[in-house]
Amino acid sequence: MIWLIFAILAPVIGGFVFGIERKVKARIQGRMGPPLMQPFYDFAKLMDKRPMMIHSLHALMGIMYFVAEWFALFVLFLGNDLLIAVFFHVLAVLALVIGASSVRSSYSALGALRELMHMISYEPFMVLMVVAFYLVSGSFNFKDILNSQAPIYQLPLVFLSFLLIIPMMLQKSPFDIAEAHQEIIGGPEIEYSGPFYEAIYTGKWIEYIYVFFFVFLFGGSNYILGSILVIFAFLFVNILDNSTARLDFRKMVKFSWVVLIPLAALNIILLALWR
Amino acid sequence: MGLFGKYRKKSPWILHYNTGGCNGCDIEILAALAPKYDIERFGALNKGNPKQADILLVTGPVTKNCKDVLRRLYLEMPEPKVVVAMGACAHGGGIFRNFYHVENGVDNIIPVDVWIPGCAPRVEALIDGIAEAIEIWQTKSKEKEYMRNHGEIYEKLGVNNDD
Repeated sequence: MIWLIFAILAPVIGGFVFGIERKVKARIQGRMGPPLMQPFYDFAKLMDKRPMMIHSLHALMGIMYFVAEWFALFVLFLGNDLLIAVFFHVLAVLALVIGASSVRSSYSALGALRELMHMISYEPFMVLMVVAFYLVSGSFNFKDILNSQAPIYQLPLVFLSFLLIIPMMLQKSPFDIAEAHQEIIGGPEIEYSGPFYEAIYTGKWIEYIYVFFFVFLFGGSNYILGSILVIFAFLFVNILDNSTARLDFRKMVKFSWVVLIPLAALNIILLALWR
Repeated sequence: MGLFGKYRKKSPWILHYNTGGCNGCDIEILAALAPKYDIERFGALNKGNPKQADILLVTGPVTKNCKDVLRRLYLEMPEPKVVVAMGACAHGGGIFRNFYHVENGVDNIIPVDVWIPGCAPRVEALIDGIAEAIEIWQTKSKEKEYMRNHGEIYEKLGVNNDD
């Protein structure tokens, strides 16, 4: 029941997380930063703009991104397999890609292709991580993982890799290749405006909840450890975001496939051999 | 202005476009975004995308090459929107007035709501102008606005006029 309420309130909580993130980012740069409620003010303003759509499929795919992200979260919290939640997250990102590549804007199409590059660099890892959770707890259900021993003790390398996967999923600075605000102004979301951009904007807040819940799962039955891990991951990702520049997409895919995925696979192989 | 319109003033997103000036004003805008003045406190972000912006901040004299781009940026912004002309060049050409390549000021191309005088204006003047622009923006509605000679301009740009 409490998870259902959590899933329904996910956009609100995600908005607060986004507000805290903007505040933290401003403090790291020595500024005051916007108020905590700023994402909700942006939400209200964007809902009040005149809707300008390119064509109906494009607008629908923007809303589909938000709905599918939320749906993935519901699948996760209503006690289904983690794998299915991961696949529904793929569906959400695919909606964004389809919408972005359905318009005749070269920036948008370029952003869609780069978004696919993001996907091929983090999705194999997500599946590996779910397999690692299965090895530790013997179940794909998140409730069994939350009742088992803390997986962080047995999966330190997977956690280390996931810390570096988070910037790819949330499109933060060393790997913010799809949404490069200086070169392809926003990438997939460039052609969205008004209420449809608001759907994309809110979908991102839900993605925050989705990603940081996976970090929380590493704590297992020890909820305090899980919360500490979430706060650590949040601050680490923000500091990394503020201190690095954008990389080439080839480097991102290479880094993911040559370093992170073998690291996670090594951990899983050692764990399977050890027990 | 409905339920959501009350919070409009809390998040003005700025689109900055330089129509061929000397970058003096642009440096002042960047100074406003930097830690000392920090207009992100008021929710203002520098968006590079006209479709998501609310305030069009134009600097520089309008050169003939930039004329159509400026019109297009204005047309691509969805509707509660304000135009702010910043600096002496944007007012009437400044030191570039009546040159062969210059259209003499932003007002010849698109309607302007707020003028920020100076060469280059101080950051305080910029913040003051943006605060004034937000007040004008509060009174505007979601309906389509028409600029001067919009029929001819739409025809010239090849935009479908969907009245």
